[in-house]
Amino acid sequence: MPRTVRSTLKKKQDRWGLVFAAPSLFFFAVFSFYPMFSAFFTSFTNKQALSLARPKFIGLENYSYLLQSPDFWNSMRATAVFTLGTFSALVVFSLLLSALVSELRVGKKLFQLAYYSPAVLSSVVAATIWLLIFDPRGLANQAMNAVMNTPGVDHYWFVNPYKEQFSTMLVYFWKHIGYFVIICISGMASVPPSVYEAVRMDGCNRWQSYWHITFPLLRPTVVLVSIMSMILCLRTFSVQYLFTLGGAPERAINVITMNIYFTGIRFFRTGRASAMSIILLIIMVVLTWLQFRVTRSEEVNY
Amino acid sequence: MAPAFLKEKAIHGAVGVLTYLILSALLVFILAPMVFMLTASFMPARDIISMPYPWVPKGWYGHNFVKAIAGNDRTYLFFRSFWNSMVVAVAITISTIMIASLTGYSLSKFSFRGRDLVFMIIMATMMIPFEAIMIPLQVVSTQLKLTNTYAGLILPFLVDAFGIFLMRQYFITFPDEFIDAARVDGMTEFSIYRKILLPNSGPAIATLAILTFRNQWDNLMWPLLVVQSERMKTLTLYIMKFTGDINSDEGSQMAVSLLASIPMVLMFFSLSKYFISGSAVFSARKG
Repeated sequence: MPRTVRSTLKKKQDRWGLVFAAPSLFFFAVFSFYPMFSAFFTSFTNKQALSLARPKFIGLENYSYLLQSPDFWNSMRATAVFTLGTFSALVVFSLLLSALVSELRVGKKLFQLAYYSPAVLSSVVAATIWLLIFDPRGLANQAMNAVMNTPGVDHYWFVNPYKEQFSTMLVYFWKHIGYFVIICISGMASVPPSVYEAVRMDGCNRWQSYWHITFPLLRPTVVLVSIMSMILCLRTFSVQYLFTLGGAPERAINVITMNIYFTGIRFFRTGRASAMSIILLIIMVVLTWLQFRVTRSEEVNY
Repeated sequence: MAPAFLKEKAIHGAVGVLTYLILSALLVFILAPMVFMLTASFMPARDIISMPYPWVPKGWYGHNFVKAIAGNDRTYLFFRSFWNSMVVAVAITISTIMIASLTGYSLSKFSFRGRDLVFMIIMATMMIPFEAIMIPLQVVSTQLKLTNTYAGLILPFLVDAFGIFLMRQYFITFPDEFIDAARVDGMTEFSIYRKILLPNSGPAIATLAILTFRNQWDNLMWPLLVVQSERMKTLTLYIMKFTGDINSDEGSQMAVSLLASIPMVLMFFSLSKYFISGSAVFSARKG
């Protein structure tokens, strides 16, 4: 008898669990899944924001239009270039810097905080600052000229498409490097010190112990940082948009999010923008799925 | 023994110096733009664009700040935009904390049927980038007349999957004995959450609050989609319009950037611990 009383009590308690989860489930149903399905269905129509005509079902026409559109492929390329460039720099430098910072005796915390500090500024502010830095009379030219000993030369940061892409990458790198350094440092901190003591006894120097011990044990963190920064870069918008408004040519930095914004909001092509959203979504899902898969299989045991 | 020891020490010393050199070089790259913002906001435009950049303001040139606040058209909408951003970011932060902690509690301390499915569904929403669903959300917001309202700015961000994940991970480590003891004392499940779980999850809540507030303070895309009226513009939109104006100058652009960063900078200096723990959450491994 007491047993059944207890189990009904437990059941009653557990019902509260569902009640407590309900607000979130309701929220995600309305604000994540509904718009996702809506975008999916709209992507098969010719819906336009300002048109009074009922949107017509046009099958895969939006997708075939996009796949043939040089503008869309330009955006895909701009996004890919930006993502690959920024993410590889972030991964390499966060590993390198975290290795160096964690070697420090003095000022470890201070360096971490200082590197992190640009993340405090909003992207709009970051873009505003860097627009002035890339000004013909700005700090970027001054620094370049000081390093290369070419006084008074304008390096045309926004004229050359590669340099323009590089400029946006630099802003992103500047803003986010500290965040990934911190992630790597806490990943390193989770490697037990006894492992290092053991290899030091075996006569490994620091470099060897980093290369043979830390780096392999850090693999899950590396994977995590890679995928996180990749997703972050795929979603970039503010910097490119602000640079475009600030006079930088749009073409080289017209990333996919900006293209969705222009197509859907400025040119009112809701159907086409939805198709682009779905493509972005698919890319994202694949990457996140990879993250889950890889991080799960990479659990390490010491 | 002694020479080898000395040699090793010398190498260590050299490596140490090199380490500090590399790290400091990067430090300059990281800090220079911020020092630039700070100093340029106190300089007249002609000093800012003079080559080489002077780095030290000649005096306390306050005109930039007057202009940043008054706006290029002297409408003084800066305060209004600041207030709008504050309202939106604070409302979203509060709602995220409440809903995420409640759901985190549910997913960590109860074992109802379908719990794992619920958790998976919520985690799956992490895969949906906001940029992929913003167009339908904007269409619906327009239909429901939510454009140019606080509700329209706030509703799509009431809670997010990462917040739920963070709170769940935190509550998992919370000892069951306290909860069971409270149950024996006859506390309702909700008051257990409110009186025992919440007051004891300060660090997790602080971490989540900072992350949420920062993301919202930074939000550009969504306000861009649902706000057209000048009075409802958030600070990011205000800065965008102000700096894009033909009449704005370098000094006041930096001044408005500085003013807009004040809340986050204050938070950073007073709560830097939680900024770091927020970043480190991801790298925490199970087991």
